Order: sequence, then structure tokens, then C-alpha cells
Amino acid sequence: MRDRILRALERSGADYTDIRVEHQWRTEVFYQGEHLQNVGASSELGGIVRCLVGGGWGIAVFNSLDEMERRVEDAQRIAQIVSDKLPEEVELAPVEPVQDQVRVSLPKDPRSVPLQQKQEILKGYNDTLLKYSDKIVTTNARYTDSFKEVTFANSAGTFIVEERPDVTLMLVATAREGATNIQMGFEQYGVAAGFEAMEGQEEKAETAARRAVDLLQAKPVKGGVYTVVVDPLLAGVFIHEAFGHLCEADFLHKNERLQGILQPGRKFGVEELNVIEDGYRPGLRGNSKYDDEGTLRRRIYLIRDGVLQGFMHSRETAARMGAQPTGNARAISYRFPPIVRMRNTYIDQGSASFDQILEGIDYGIYACAAFGGQTELEQFTFSAAYAYEIVDGKIGEMLRDVVLTGNIFDTLRNIDMIGNDLQIWGGAGGCGKGGQAPLPTTLGGPHVRIQNLTVGGRAQ
Amino acid sequence: MKTEIRAANLLEEVSGQVDGAELYQLRSLELPVRFAFGKLESVQSVETAGRALRLIKDGRLGFSTTTDLADDTTLVRNALESAQFGDPAPFEFPVKQPTEPVACFDREVEQLDENALIALGEEIVEEIKSYDAQLQTDVVIYRSIQEVQLLNTSGLDIQDRRTGLAISVEVTRAREGDIVIIYDSASSHRRQDVDGLALARGIVERFQWAEKTVKVGSKPMPVVFHRLGAAVPLLPLMSGLNGRQVFLGASPLAEKLEQQVLDERFTLVDDGRLDFASRSAPYDDEGVPTTRKSLIEGGVVRQFLYDLKTAGLAGAQPTGNGFKSGLRGGGFQRPPDVAPSTWLVPPGERSLEEILSGLDEALLVEQVIGLGQGNVMAGEFSNNVSVGFLVHNGEIAGRVKNTMIAGNVYELLKDQLLALSDRPAWVFGLLHVPAIAVDGVSVASRG
Repeated sequence: MRDRILRALERSGADYTDIRVEHQWRTEVFYQGEHLQNVGASSELGGIVRCLVGGGWGIAVFNSLDEMERRVEDAQRIAQIVSDKLPEEVELAPVEPVQDQVRVSLPKDPRSVPLQQKQEILKGYNDTLLKYSDKIVTTNARYTDSFKEVTFANSAGTFIVEERPDVTLMLVATAREGATNIQMGFEQYGVAAGFEAMEGQEEKAETAARRAVDLLQAKPVKGGVYTVVVDPLLAGVFIHEAFGHLCEADFLHKNERLQGILQPGRKFGVEELNVIEDGYRPGLRGNSKYDDEGTLRRRIYLIRDGVLQGFMHSRETAARMGAQPTGNARAISYRFPPIVRMRNTYIDQGSASFDQILEGIDYGIYACAAFGGQTELEQFTFSAAYAYEIVDGKIGEMLRDVVLTGNIFDTLRNIDMIGNDLQIWGGAGGCGKGGQAPLPTTLGGPHVRIQNLTVGGRAQ
Repeated sequence: MKTEIRAANLLEEVSGQVDGAELYQLRSLELPVRFAFGKLESVQSVETAGRALRLIKDGRLGFSTTTDLADDTTLVRNALESAQFGDPAPFEFPVKQPTEPVACFDREVEQLDENALIALGEEIVEEIKSYDAQLQTDVVIYRSIQEVQLLNTSGLDIQDRRTGLAISVEVTRAREGDIVIIYDSASSHRRQDVDGLALARGIVERFQWAEKTVKVGSKPMPVVFHRLGAAVPLLPLMSGLNGRQVFLGASPLAEKLEQQVLDERFTLVDDGRLDFASRSAPYDDEGVPTTRKSLIEGGVVRQFLYDLKTAGLAGAQPTGNGFKSGLRGGGFQRPPDVAPSTWLVPPGERSLEEILSGLDEALLVEQVIGLGQGNVMAGEFSNNVSVGFLVHNGEIAGRVKNTMIAGNVYELLKDQLLALSDRPAWVFGLLHVPAIAVDGVSVASRG
């Protein structure tokens, strides 16, 4: 493989060329209700060539390694077409060429665990979901594992082989009462580990089922403006979706107006607000030693002491904005070129206890976990998976259908308390951007209190 | 160099060891062209191939996929291993049933090269710029040529060549403290159906309406879901009419077949045979002929969507809705699953302008954030209105900000339907629907 890649690189007459070849082994087990909807193992092998000529990128994707040299020529030809349209040269920020092999050793490598064991463990969790209550009408239980060997080489002399494991578990219970009261409870878990991480997760199944049943009795929230306390998970979704994406420099470097707003040195929140983007947290899904351009990982502050510090970069955006590459150029697979993406992103912990955060709230909302989140630049929306009333500083009755929305800059300024209970969390899905989803990332934070947040809901 | 194993040979090799087997093979040539902030960003050439083997052994289903067309042993071994404890198969692989052709190939699309696609993008960028040079335009143009081959041990052998052209346009107006993003897209098997300039002009129209910002109160009011906004009321129906969710008992429509559940003016058709529509094909990905059928007719539930497996479990007929790439793609890597074809809602009598002119105070919702979040199965929606306009005394008064809408689709389309407009619009290459006006939607706004 090494010789073949080096030979293909030599064929290129472009200013810069890189080749990434990925070999991936995957399994999936998927139950819906009592039915094993899918069980199967698959393997995938493919690669991508990127050529930079003048101001243009040409990109060619292939499955057959026999085609590698021809695809290098195609990428170069396309890059020339793009370059003719773009007079401006593209520079890449320098990165030291590196030769490295990053191997992982897993207690239970999923490639050697029989498929049947994976099916049995998931069936156990699925049975727990189904048997919790006769109100549970159906389930979605999904186990996935993936083991990727990524080979990256470029025309500057870098050659890296890196192994990246990933296992996930998604457990969803659907409870129903009468014709229209249908509620879902879910728990999910994803780590850069082997099969061992998926063992002993019965409690998650029980929690998911209990929540679905409890939500049948929960009150729908009344829309309005509230003091909202978000749990560590929702704090993480918020900072990833609403703020993290704005700090991805591939978007920012072309957008002068947004750059005018997001100026390093400008204050965006209270002194205690720190937002960190970290290329390595032991065992977490957002990890990789090198990104998909061969840049070594780093840990950076997006916000430190309430003040904006900097952004996430690829080599191209770093050169354009006079910054250092941060190791954030990532691709979901060989079918896509790397773009600027998050890894492990979180609000760092502050000093308040949970009780201190609740203190003094006459009526507010405690919003937990997330069904999902989406943003359009400064506007965000995310749906809490479940929530509670806060009445006179105490947690009250359960609420459902809580959707939080607002403007990120207003909302960051409205954070007035930050908890001392940081948790970082990897789910079963991942992040989506530019047609590339799901990319393994993690997110988190402590409990965070936000004043004057809009909550959507039906009037009562 | 390893030699590729022919699909037919692989199927024959496996046929002696199993009750039945199906081989799906996809070769595709894709050419995505991206413009960012009004400038060409990249051109890619994506040549991929892969196959999926699904089999039934001792009555149980197994599945595996690979991108290595020279390797049969791993593919067959993986599929056989999973069949040892797979779900019982409630169906047999179908024989080929004759059907009329459905047009999926267009020579004009096939002949579009990199330069032609770049020119298409430039035309869109220029059109937007001529309205306001400060607007930032992102465009993705996607041309594909696919060769699909589907074989099974019941003698089915389908080979199909399809073209595809898709354009999506996203335009941003960023002013300090106020950012608006408006997007739209079009896709088809045929070149002439994908009109980039029309997309650009529709986006400019929305920016014109958005020049002025107005405040809206927090209360229930009429909402008109238009263009992409129409996905809000239709999305929950995709879960509700999915035969698997019905069989599992999760759909609120589960016991409602032949019952009146929505307003009698509301009809919904699933059409897998509309020539050149991007989700059309003569057969689905299991070899069942696609169909055109009313799912809801005059408000009455007539039909759910089924693939082979779900139909077998539910004792229903397959409807030709077994697709390997659901709404989110996935290509050959996924087993077939229940998915809609093109959804058509027959239009009403009045134009959008006439409908708006009859409303004292209402929201025209063109685009939301958070589509598909929340309790979709129950019909609930709760969305931030990212592109929406206040209608005051029948006229568009301006854009609303920081506004949420919430409601239940099943309740709104049953008791609160005001009107359907006379001109359907394409949404995501999936829906072809008129503007849908309903009363009594909860609106919460910070003004």
C-alpha cells in the first residue's frame, strides 16, 4: 500500500497533493420492537486524492486502488479547471512533515467479537426496554461498531497510518397512551473503544424506558420567556451547535460581516465562561492524533474568561487568517475532503453547585438532554428530551415539548451562573455539516443558568 | 490487479447454499461543484462502486455489503454469519413483474461536464448579486450517473441507468445583530426540470419581503406554510403513514385505515412513477414495481407504505416503497427500508395572494430551524421560524424574528385547515405541495 500511494503521489504535477485511503470494518445490529431489523457486517475500502493547483482544489474519489494513479491525474486536471476560474492563490499554513503509526489496542476488538455476541447483548437491552411497562409500544435499539485504518500521505513527505475505533449504542423506547399521547425516552452512548464499552449498560435501557413512560404524564410546556437551567448534556449541545459552528474558520474566513462580530479579544460572556475545543480527551469519540490533513491535534480555547480567543482551523483557513492550524480538518470518510469540524467541545466548569444555580428562581425551566439541535448562523434551536419546572428554587413537575431558541450572542451574555459539575458526553449519532454526517464528536459542560430564554410551546 | 467478480456469477455461487438471495450493485459517477461566498470553491469527481448481498437461509435473513468487487468470500461469509440468528424472513424474493417504463435517464444531464456545471453556478451567483451585491451565495450543484443492477434467485434481473441533477442555493444576508439565511433546492433526473435562475429569483423575492422587520405578538394565529415551510405539516405524516410504524403500533394512524382523520379537502398521493422526478424509478430497490396511490383521500386514510419485509409481517401487499437510500441517503450500504416516493398534495382553488388577502393577522412561514426535532411521531412540531413574514390586513408587512411556532399536525389538518393554494411548489425534490393555510397555531415571540 505504501509504495502504491507514494508512486501515485509522484504522478502529480500539482503544487500540493495528498492521498487518504481508508479501510473500514463495520457492524450494525438494529432492533425495532421485537424485530431484528438489521444485522450485518461490512467492509469498505476507498480513497480520495486532493490536488491544489494555483488557487483551486481538484478532488477525486475512488474505490478501486488500482485506479489510484489515474485518479491523481483526474484530480490535477480538475484543479487546473478550478484554478483558471480563481486568480487568487491558495496558501497552506506550514505543518512539519511527519512519519507516524498510531495503533490502538482494545480489550475487545470488535473485529474479533462474533456477530452473535453483539446481537445477544443488544437483544438483552432491547428486552429491558420492551418489558419495562405495557405502555411501551415499540423500541429502536441500535448497536454499531467501526474500526478504521486511515492512511494519509502528502507531497511534502508526510506518511501517517492511524487506527480509529468507534462503538455506539442507541436505546429508544416509545410509550403510548390512547390515540395521540406518544412519547419517546432515549439514552445513547458512543466512545472510541472496543466492544467492552457496550457491556453492562442495562441501566441505560431502564432509564430510557422509564422516561418514555414518565413523559406520558408530563405537562406540555407553555411557550414564553423563562430563566432556564440546562443540564450538562444540553449545555454541550448548545455550545456545540450555537457557538462552535460559528468558530469554524472555513466559514468565517470568507465572511467579513461575521468576522466583524466575532473579534478575538471581544467579551462574549461572564468572566467564568470558558469554552474549550480539545483534540484529545482519553477514550472520547472526538479524538484523533492527526486530523485528515496530517496536522497534530491541539487543545484550544474558543472563549477564555469570557473573551473570544480564536477559531478552529484547517491549513488553508489558518494561512488565510494568519493563524496556526489546530488539527480540526476532518472528513467523515474517504468519500469527502476534510472541512473544519469540531472534536471534543465543552464549556469548562465554574464554581456554582446545582442548588446555588436553582436558588432564587421563582419560576423557571430545568431542561435536560436533547432530541436534536440546529442553527442558522446566530439563530439556534434545540429540543430538550425532557424537562422540569423550577418553582421557588426547587425542581417541580415534569414538562415535555420544551424547545429552546434564540440568538447566540444574546444568550451567551445571558448566562449568569456556571456549575462545578462538568461532564463530557459522546452520543450515538454525530455532527453534520456540508453534507458530511455523522462525524463522531463529543460535547459537554456543567449545569448552566440562562436568563430570558425563549421557549417554544403551545399556548394553554 | 484483482479481477472483478460478475454480479450474476456471485449470485449463482451463493444460490446453492441458501433458500434465496438478492444482489444489489451500484456504480456511480458523481460530479459535485461547490461555490462558497459567490466564488467557485471546489470540483470533485467521485467514482464509486459497491454491492450488497441479502439472503435467506433456513428462513432467516442475512445481510452484508462491500466495496471490493473482486472479493466474494468475505461478503458471502458475513452475510451467512448474520443469517444464523437473523430475523425470520416473512417474504420471498420476488419474480420480475412487468411494468410500464418510468423515465429516469436524460442525455442532457449525462453530457454536462465540469465547465457546464460551473457555468450553471455562475449564472445563479450573478442573478443574486444583481439584486444585492452584499448577499453571500453558496451553491452546490450535483450531477450523477448511476448504474443499478438488482438480481435475485427468483430470476429477477433489473439493470437501470439513471441520471440526476440537483442544485441547492443558500444565500446569507449578514448585518450586525441580524442574519438571514434563505435557501432552496431543486432536483430531477432531467436537466430541464432544474432551473437555477428560478431558484435564485424565488430567493430574491423572499429577501425583498425581508427588507423590513416587524414585531408579532404571542398568541394562536393563522399560519400559511409555503414552499420549504410546507415540510412542517407533512413531515409527521411520513412517520405516521410508514407501514412499519403502523405495524409496530407507534403511528397515531395505526387503527385509522378507512377512517376520516383529516379535513375532507386534504388528499395526499405517493407517486413512484412520475417521469423524471428524482425519487422515481420503475422498480424499488427490492424489485417490486413502484406505484402511484392515494395515502389520504379526502381526509380518509387509504393506504400505508410497505416494503417486502414489513408487508410480510403486517399481512399487507408491498407498495414498491422498499428503498436502500432513505431520505438521508446511504446508497448500497443500507438494507432496504420503507421510504416515500414523491409526495403530491393536489392544490386548491385560490392563489396564495387571495388566501393572504383574507387574513387580518397571520404568519407566512417559508423556512424553519429544527425540522424533525421533537415528538414527530405524535404529530407535534415546535420550530423557530427562520424565514417568516407577518401578514397584516392581507398584505406582507415584513419579516418576523425570534419567533417560534408550535402545534399538532393531526389536529391542525383536521379541524383548522383554512385553504390550500392553487400552485404546488417542489420541496427537497420530495414534496410537490401547495401552500397550506391553517388556523390556531401557537406563536411565541420575543418581538
